Amino acid sequence: MAFDIDSLSAAQIAAGVAAGDFSAREVAQAALANVESREGDVHAFLEVSSELALQAADAIDAKRAAGEQLPPMAGVPCAFKDNMHLVGTHCTCASRMLENYQSTFTATAVQRMLDAGCIPVGKTNMDEFAFGSSTESSAFGPTCNPRDLGCVPGGSSGGSAAAVAAGMTTVTLGSDTGGSIRQPAAFCGVVGMKPTYGMVSRYGVVAFGSSLDQVGPFGRTVEDVALSMNALAGRDLRDCTSQPWNTDFLAHLHDGVAGKRIGVIPSLTHAEGVSAEVSEAIEAAAANLASAGAELVEVELPNAAAAISAYYVLAPCEAFSNLARFDGVRYGHQCADPRDLADMSSRSRAEGFGPEVKRRIMLGAYLLSSGVYDTYYYPAQQVRALITQDYKNAFQKVDAVLMPSAPFTAFKFGELSNPTQMYMADMFTVPLNIAGNCGVSVPVGLGRETGRPVGAQLIGPAFADDQLLRIAATLQGFYPELPVSKDFAKGEQR
Amino acid sequence: MRDIADILKDWEPVIGLEIHTELTTLNTKMFCSCRLSHDDEPNTNVCPVCLGMPGALPVPNRAAIQSIVLAGLSTNCQIMKHSMFYRKNYFYPDMAKNFQTTQGPVAFCMGGWLDVEVGANGAKERLDDGEVERAKDGSYTAHIGITRIHMEEDAAKMVHVGGAEGRIGGADHSLIDYNRCGTPLIELVTEPDLRSPEEARLFMEKLRQIFLTIGISDCSMESGSMRCDGNISLRRRGTEKFGTRCEMKNLNSFKNLHDALEYEIRRQAEVLEEGGVVYQETRHWDVNARRTIVMRTKETADDYRLFPEPDMVPFDLSEEFVEEVRTRLPELPDQRRDRYVEAYGLKRADAAQLAGDPKLSAFFDEAVAGTQGKLSQSVANVILNELMGYLNAEGHSIASTSITPAQIRSLAELLSSDAISSNQGREVFALMAASGDDPAHIVDERGMRQVSDTSALEPVVDEVIANCPDQVAQYKGGNTKVVGYLVGQCMKASKGKGNPKLFNQLLCAKLAD
Repeated sequence: MAFDIDSLSAAQIAAGVAAGDFSAREVAQAALANVESREGDVHAFLEVSSELALQAADAIDAKRAAGEQLPPMAGVPCAFKDNMHLVGTHCTCASRMLENYQSTFTATAVQRMLDAGCIPVGKTNMDEFAFGSSTESSAFGPTCNPRDLGCVPGGSSGGSAAAVAAGMTTVTLGSDTGGSIRQPAAFCGVVGMKPTYGMVSRYGVVAFGSSLDQVGPFGRTVEDVALSMNALAGRDLRDCTSQPWNTDFLAHLHDGVAGKRIGVIPSLTHAEGVSAEVSEAIEAAAANLASAGAELVEVELPNAAAAISAYYVLAPCEAFSNLARFDGVRYGHQCADPRDLADMSSRSRAEGFGPEVKRRIMLGAYLLSSGVYDTYYYPAQQVRALITQDYKNAFQKVDAVLMPSAPFTAFKFGELSNPTQMYMADMFTVPLNIAGNCGVSVPVGLGRETGRPVGAQLIGPAFADDQLLRIAATLQGFYPELPVSKDFAKGEQR
Repeated sequence: MRDIADILKDWEPVIGLEIHTELTTLNTKMFCSCRLSHDDEPNTNVCPVCLGMPGALPVPNRAAIQSIVLAGLSTNCQIMKHSMFYRKNYFYPDMAKNFQTTQGPVAFCMGGWLDVEVGANGAKERLDDGEVERAKDGSYTAHIGITRIHMEEDAAKMVHVGGAEGRIGGADHSLIDYNRCGTPLIELVTEPDLRSPEEARLFMEKLRQIFLTIGISDCSMESGSMRCDGNISLRRRGTEKFGTRCEMKNLNSFKNLHDALEYEIRRQAEVLEEGGVVYQETRHWDVNARRTIVMRTKETADDYRLFPEPDMVPFDLSEEFVEEVRTRLPELPDQRRDRYVEAYGLKRADAAQLAGDPKLSAFFDEAVAGTQGKLSQSVANVILNELMGYLNAEGHSIASTSITPAQIRSLAELLSSDAISSNQGREVFALMAASGDDPAHIVDERGMRQVSDTSALEPVVDEVIANCPDQVAQYKGGNTKVVGYLVGQCMKASKGKGNPKLFNQLLCAKLAD
């Protein structure tokens, strides 16, 4: 049967495969054909796993033929950020350091998507080791924003966001340490969720900032994201920070927002550096939620301004330590003709890591050194406690807080060349990782000036992720779905 | 170098210990489920976690935390309900992640103590400074504070090939066996309360006895499952301020621990008396040269960049958890020693020796059950003298020997009832060890049972007195030592079956008439 994969949601694909309207193999082939035709313009992938995809599809078709019940995402094309392990693929973290590294085990989050019936299309591009907000720091070239090829897709999970926006897969997984799911989701006009810390296992995801990292899904609709969350959420004995979860994300997804209290923070929405088109779009989103029966309540997050500073202390410290294992001894890049152990480690690292990775390692090494620790790390932890308390206070009054996902829409390649400027792109997303609660970016139309997608960020209390998606689903209902971007005007590339 | 006793008049040694113990009795590693065994083929008990592969995460071993809580409870520590792991960052391939997961300022166990009893001989190593109460013979009890016991993971084993003395410098290449990497390790740190190498040795010995008793480790100093570093400095008598300390490594036996510290007292005293400066450095005890040599100085010490382990949330040990562990606390060596003294009237030193080794005390408990008084002490004597001597000579252990507590009990009964003499006892023990026979059976079969019936012995005594007029005359003349000869004659006449003690008593009585 003829079908248009670009117009089908994950749930529709799974239903179609289950009903026999089309086979999983046909879906896989359609997704791979889209990759074939669009990847040249977008470069969302670091590896396309055609063989694994077809094998998985055939297994699902065989199951159906045998009369077995199919899992909830049977046949849904999926891709994974290249910092997640999937046996049979490489896991490069977009770094020369791991250019040839082959996964020896599969990440729990990846496995859960596969168990739910997803078809692994490949591994997606990212900022090197997830350090960045534009995917420009990938050692293997940047990803282009499918909505505007001259713009960055955001980052660090830029490849995962772009792959969904360009219809090369239906859903993807990304990781979010300071906004790396929500910000690219906003830039690419898709839905991206950072679940509550502990909601999804981190086992098999190459760590950046262990106390901040969280895996989450991208989809074109909130419903696809909720479907993915059903697969992902829950305790994993291999990640001792993961928590049990038994609630169906889809059960009350469309129950609306009547009576829900939505927090708004005018001072943040209009903060310095926030573009007018973003402020307007967020105000419109608030008005839409109010029209659906939600109550808008002004709240405060008095310490939000300190979040970026605290984040750029805590994250590099953890990254410094997490990346210490890449020393050329057991795996990864090893320099030629090392003189001795110290030479091997230092030269392998000097050659294997890109500039942004080195910058953050140096920063972390400095911040943790004796005499400096008390000046930075300790106060940063105190700020973390304050911000966490800010959110707790806010959630006494409201069910969710609404704010921009990013201060501006997608920017042009090279536009933010100063690292601290780039860090400001995370001003709305970082506090959430510091506090550990959940957030989702929902596309709320195109910016009045740039014509590029604007993302509204909804933030919920810890382990109220299902409630948050319910509000997000209502919000998304106010906007016409952004179609898959596939007809790329040549010459518009950077 | 000056004599130690002379040095002690001017200088007071201040010693603290850091003792690492691998929790060898657990089944799995600290943060993964790999098997705990160092003896297997290299790099066979490994997984992504202990190999530090990207994407792997640590999951703490609950049994290891139970073990360290048990260690804390047995050393009078406060169990901290709230504590967390930290990362100690350093680049060296023996730790696959290039950081060691350990604990920060608050460890699972804080602020404990142990008392060590220093005997008369060892007491001489400490000047009678009036700070501890001494018995008449000089012996005393030293109260040693324990700062903390924290949980960490052991490093991999490295073998450097082609370099001098197996060191990495100059080596051609290095081999790494990650089987040991991630082994649960606890580190106990004492307060600087120790004042002599003997106190340090006794503390280490006592701690080993306790850890063996609570069953958390095989505590082998030889194989390195229990390792000790000693910090030592000298200060001039009468001053408060600590001197600069040096850290001693490679103290892999009680003797090495003692000797290295003693050497270091002499060395530091010499340096200080010549107006020199003791540098804060790590020194290696060279067993063959019998001296300490510099390993590294403070200037080259690493900055470990300790910070909270972000892959694990802080621990909140529940009251129930701690109480459950407390129920597993067995009778500790000191309690056991006191019980032996009270219940069986054993000599304190014998009781302490038996109580110090859990396998030995279990053996004793079985052999001694239901006895009292003379028989109890006899059981202790047979074990401590005959059995231990035999096991040492044969290279056996109490766990591997085929000699049973029932056999020991049987032999002790024969001895304490004077059915055989102590010389015969040794002979019977040897026969028993060789054949596995019951001692009573051996004695009966060989007709060794000595005669303790006075009426049967009296005719023999009369006969000897009659036959030895010269010796009798000497005895009556005041040379009472000659009675030994007469006892010998009685034994000969009775073909060795008479009880020599009784012969002696009868002879003395008759000759006194």
